Amino acid sequence: MKFKKLLLFIFIIPLVSFTLHKYYISLCEIDYIENKQTIQITMGLFIDDIEFTLNKDNNTELYLATNEEIESIDEIYESYLNNNFIIIVNNEQLPYQFIGKEYDDDLVRFYLEISDVPKLNSIEVKNTCLIRDFNDQQNIIKINANKKQKTFYLDNKTDKGLLKF
Amino acid sequence: MNNIIFRLILVLCFSSNLFAQNNTNQKGHYNTSKFKQLQEELPTPNSQHTASGAPGHEYTQQKVDYEMDIILDDENQRIYGEEIVTYHNNSKNNLEYLWLQLDQNIRAKDSKTPDIKGNEIKTLYSPTQFSNKFIKNKFDGGFKIQYVKNIDNSDVSYLINQTMMRINLEKPLESGKSYSFKIKWWYNINDHVKQDGRSGFEHFSEDNNNNYVIAQFFPRLCVYNNVEGWQNDQFWGRSEFALEFGDYKVNITTPNDHILGATGVLINEAEVLTSIQQKRLAKARKSFDNPVIIVSQDEAIKAEKNKAKKTKTWKFYAKNVRDYAFATSRKFIWDAMAVDINGRTVMAYSYYSKEANPLYGDHSTRAVAQTLITYSKHTFDYPYHKAISVDGQMGMEYPQICFNPGRPNPDGTYSNRTKYRMIGVTIHEVGHNFFPMIVNSDERQWTWMDEGLNSFVQMLAQMEYEKGYPLTRGLPKNIIPYMKGDQSKIAPIMSKGDDLFEFGNNAYAKPATALWILRHTIMGPELFDFAFKTYANRWKFKHPTPADFFRTMEDASAMDLDWFWRGWFYTTGNNDIGIKDVKKYHVTNKPTEAAEKAYARYGITKDQIPPSLFLISEDSDEYSEKIKDIKPQDFEVLSNYIKQNFSSEEQLTLKAPKYIYEIKFEKLGELVMPIVVEFEYEDDSKEMKQYPAEIWRKNDKEVTKVFSSTKAIKKITIDPKEETADVNPLNNSWPKPTENKFEKFKKRKLKS
Repeated sequence: MKFKKLLLFIFIIPLVSFTLHKYYISLCEIDYIENKQTIQITMGLFIDDIEFTLNKDNNTELYLATNEEIESIDEIYESYLNNNFIIIVNNEQLPYQFIGKEYDDDLVRFYLEISDVPKLNSIEVKNTCLIRDFNDQQNIIKINANKKQKTFYLDNKTDKGLLKF
Repeated sequence: MNNIIFRLILVLCFSSNLFAQNNTNQKGHYNTSKFKQLQEELPTPNSQHTASGAPGHEYTQQKVDYEMDIILDDENQRIYGEEIVTYHNNSKNNLEYLWLQLDQNIRAKDSKTPDIKGNEIKTLYSPTQFSNKFIKNKFDGGFKIQYVKNIDNSDVSYLINQTMMRINLEKPLESGKSYSFKIKWWYNINDHVKQDGRSGFEHFSEDNNNNYVIAQFFPRLCVYNNVEGWQNDQFWGRSEFALEFGDYKVNITTPNDHILGATGVLINEAEVLTSIQQKRLAKARKSFDNPVIIVSQDEAIKAEKNKAKKTKTWKFYAKNVRDYAFATSRKFIWDAMAVDINGRTVMAYSYYSKEANPLYGDHSTRAVAQTLITYSKHTFDYPYHKAISVDGQMGMEYPQICFNPGRPNPDGTYSNRTKYRMIGVTIHEVGHNFFPMIVNSDERQWTWMDEGLNSFVQMLAQMEYEKGYPLTRGLPKNIIPYMKGDQSKIAPIMSKGDDLFEFGNNAYAKPATALWILRHTIMGPELFDFAFKTYANRWKFKHPTPADFFRTMEDASAMDLDWFWRGWFYTTGNNDIGIKDVKKYHVTNKPTEAAEKAYARYGITKDQIPPSLFLISEDSDEYSEKIKDIKPQDFEVLSNYIKQNFSSEEQLTLKAPKYIYEIKFEKLGELVMPIVVEFEYEDDSKEMKQYPAEIWRKNDKEVTKVFSSTKAIKKITIDPKEETADVNPLNNSWPKPTENKFEKFKKRKLKS
């Protein structure tokens, strides 16, 4: 059985060593696994940034990735993603399943999946995560499908990218 | 006859090339070996920078002394300064002019720094953004040079080109001679929180106070050396500084209620500190376990409520430093602790506002102390009398003083994330005292030389600060996404800081990772630590270049690392080693088809083949279950040989393998790296084997190794501990894995 390359997250380290200003970057990797007819999505965001945004939206302190984090945090994440991250497959917007999240140092990583995609003719990704609150936010999308690799750099000017096969 | 057959066997064993001659006329090529020595990349050694990587017998270095009177105008946020500069020309050459750096000019109204950044119209602008971009008067933070004079007060001719100033000498400054001149200047201090910068002030509107962290505040001499000539590349805002060592006498006048920390020894303690503060400081000088509070939070809160009209002058003397900086505020809390550096007491200080407490009170001074201890162990004993960490809300380093980020929540709590980031940056910035403040590489040209080396030793200090300290930057697994990223957005480490795409990964994380791999996987701590220490000692208080580092690491360890420098520092390649194929062999004494064919070429028929052992792969047609459990010594041909050639004692120690494997490794990445392999046997025991990178000398694509064992192998894994930054883990094991990372995560999730 041949596997697609396992894609890891770009772990862009905040640039703390000469000024506090770090890179405002997220990485989303989208793999279409043809023989399993599934689209696997992993997205990493800096915890500090998503916390700032979610605190603002929910008018509360969420204490992400600490012992005080609320139990229903996944629902908050899921709803934020549904509002800010949209996948259009073969010209049709498809919902994705929120498999879960993991914390990895400064990052929160989401695992999302769209099943039952027998053929992928086109995929469009709209990602506005963190753009509202972080002017310099750049959301990198790496698509690996049908033996093709494509990278989109989305920001406050361009919030979506379309890949056709 | 035996002799002839023996020769034939030799021929058969080494004959793979003989029959594969190609008659087409192929093109020749230069030496493209990845193990080719770096002689074409490295500069030719000379009597200043030698072939061994040490400073040579004719190494010279300029010296620049400064006497400065500085006034901080807190009301208008301005610095006023006067300096007498004495330049000692220790080089063998006469100098027609001198170059000085005017770093604050990147914030001058006519600065070209904003002009070199492309920008585009944004979809929307907040009122603040719109005003800042299109309406507001531009802040003028450039140097206002009031005069440049000779000591006899005659005018000195000079020219300013952006961030550089040329002093035109009336006659060349001869080798071995010194020249003194005076400069008077002022400038508007930037708000570093709103306007960015490596120094400036932070404003607190609640109590209407400013914390000042002040650096690059005076015209400073450029480096003149035998490598760059004058290092007068413009300061564009990113590639930092190249500076000469010298002695500084500095008087700083601040409001009377300020607490100030600065480079150098405070020589008028009694004039600027209260008697209580002096007593506490004396106590701190004997306190090696816990910081002693010199100015308490209550005292600082009291001070920030009033604004003193009077001033006081702090007097410092700093010997043999490459730069000068200070921090001052009436808001500062101050604590201090003694650190024992091989029997000598060094002081660790922290200055912080209440907004940074208790985070700073808990960790800042302790982090300073840990840095001095760990770094001293890996380089040389910290030679200065103190090191300071300031709550400066950036991350910037100067001799003996640095400005660090991190604040707790308003209620005083802080998460582990905040804590480790603050400690990490503090260790990093204090660590810069060693690289580049003492091992004084050229930051303008080679950001990695101080940032990369420093980020590496930072990891060692973090591990010693707290057991289980979460390391991030510098671990091989964390550099993978960068190294396998879009090649059009990656530059080799050997690039100028200004030209890098991803500054943090390129100049900090990748070189730190490279050193981590050298220490842990390629050289081992014993060889690495000695060589690294040799480099630090050879070049302390001097100006090293990349070649000096590369050469010293080899010179002191007897390891040829040119392939490593070439791959990791001069290219953007990554490491991807995989297992292409594994074959399990069994032994037989019956000639195999392949053996018969080989002998047939020499006219030797099947029954003429001399007694030998033959190997049959499990996947070949000739394999049968019958030979599965046969051991090599079951065959007389081998057992007789053993009996004839080994004594009975020796025979007892001999162990014939039961299983023989042929493993084909493939190298898909451009880097050459050692192959680190873990063999897991059927009884769950494990064995590690490391093949040196030199295994790739003759074939850059694939290599086959025979591995024999007495137990059957269940699993083979390349780089099981993620120590080589292998970018593709999916080809790292045999048998091939059936799940990728996403699927593993999903399975775990479904289980729970």
